[in-house]
Amino acid sequence: MSARLPSLLLLAALIAGWEAWCQLGGLSPLVLPPPSAVLATLWSEIATGRLWPHLATTAAEMALGLAIGTVVGLGTGILLAEVPALGRLLHPYVLASQLVPKLALGPLFIIWFGFGMTPTVVITALICFFPLMENTLTGLTEIDPARRELFRMLGASRLQTLLRLKLPAALPVIMAGLRVAVVLALVGAVVGEFIGGRIGLGASIIAAQSVMDSSLIFALFVVITALGMLLYEAVRALERRVLHRFSKG
Amino acid sequence: MSTEPESGYVTIEQARYRYSAAGPAIVDGVDWQIPRGEVHCLIGRSGCGKTTLLKLAAGLLLPTEGAIRVGGEALVGPSPRAGFVFQSPTLLDWLTALDNVLLPISLKRRPTTTDREAALDLLSRVGLANFAARRPGELSGGQQSRVAVARALIGGPDLLLLDEPFAALDALTREELQDDLLRLCALNGTTALFVTHDINEAVYLADKVAVMAAGRITHARRIELPRPRHRDMRYAPSFAAACRELRDAMDGEPAVGRERPAA
Repeated sequence: MSARLPSLLLLAALIAGWEAWCQLGGLSPLVLPPPSAVLATLWSEIATGRLWPHLATTAAEMALGLAIGTVVGLGTGILLAEVPALGRLLHPYVLASQLVPKLALGPLFIIWFGFGMTPTVVITALICFFPLMENTLTGLTEIDPARRELFRMLGASRLQTLLRLKLPAALPVIMAGLRVAVVLALVGAVVGEFIGGRIGLGASIIAAQSVMDSSLIFALFVVITALGMLLYEAVRALERRVLHRFSKG
Repeated sequence: MSTEPESGYVTIEQARYRYSAAGPAIVDGVDWQIPRGEVHCLIGRSGCGKTTLLKLAAGLLLPTEGAIRVGGEALVGPSPRAGFVFQSPTLLDWLTALDNVLLPISLKRRPTTTDREAALDLLSRVGLANFAARRPGELSGGQQSRVAVARALIGGPDLLLLDEPFAALDALTREELQDDLLRLCALNGTTALFVTHDINEAVYLADKVAVMAAGRITHARRIELPRPRHRDMRYAPSFAAACRELRDAMDGEPAVGRERPAA
């Protein structure tokens, strides 16, 4: 806690500075609402219960997109690493698919999947797929050759080598990919809602913008940031748990 | 070069190895025999092909020409009768010392209580009785090497192949591990081929030492020190004489721009 104290003090100072600037600078609350107004709006959103369906939708889209992207990314990474010929064949295409701005695919996904959660989940999954695939591929192909020879010497099958050597050894790199994916998942979910959402935090931002409610937009920023930090910390906790056996000693 | 007829448990016949068809021969026509239960050492400068020869003997590489036989059978892949100790301990960081030792068994079947006891026994024989539950990150370099030796011995291999396993250790730890290794090999009558660049180590461990240069065996010498070996032998005149002869044999290699030391 004491390590976080300077961070918290800095936050308090920044908020105080922001409040003072709004109060004394005569800035229009439409341009930059003071933190007190943002907090009041946030509280009313929470108290009236208007926030919860949006929060739940965004969290669900994010979780679903992250889960699908992770599973597919992990699977593709393993496949490309285990079958190098396939890796050489497909890697340029996988890379190209990631260089297409995925948000630009949003309108297309709306045509394909309609409005609602599906296009946002697909965008989120596409965004999360890449760091998982890339890190899995990197982790699996950078296994110490001597350890691979050890497994050959011990007569291990290909599956055993994958499950008992390659995946455990690559786990720290894969977990780092997952951490990146979590952050991107939130971006994917929120921005996906900009395009096709009716419910969700991103959709709420668009709705607030249409009525020029800056303090609501800021309140939603706070919620999105809190959601992101919560999920990031959850993945960190998972990572610590999984990697406990590596970091020990 | 020794040409005495020996019935080899390991027989290397005119083995040649090239990484690519047009490339130079890394191992260039080696004939060698290791009788059952003997410890042979292979010494030579870096890049002379000794590790490649060891991997040929393990079946990790297959000879481009010639054949390697272990117990009369020509190798066509990694030999299940051989244990291999690599240059680095190559332990799995996420397993305890005990589970690392049990790895060769657990890849084949679920280890039994008897297997666990055997692994614990091996660990205690290399002085790690109290370290079975530790992970590699919690062990020193010497302790990791000991776990690696125990792992190579767990299946009761007939043949032990070692690739400079103690090169990274300090002199005292190295001597201790050499004694451990000799004891364990003598216990089970294990045949061993040990690659090193340390002449002292080779003479102390071996029944016979081969000097390798440019892919060929240029010199071989039987070491007539009695067994079991012990520390005092390192200071015996015959030990020094063997070291000297091998050193001269290594210096006698055709080496450009390398001066023969006066001592």
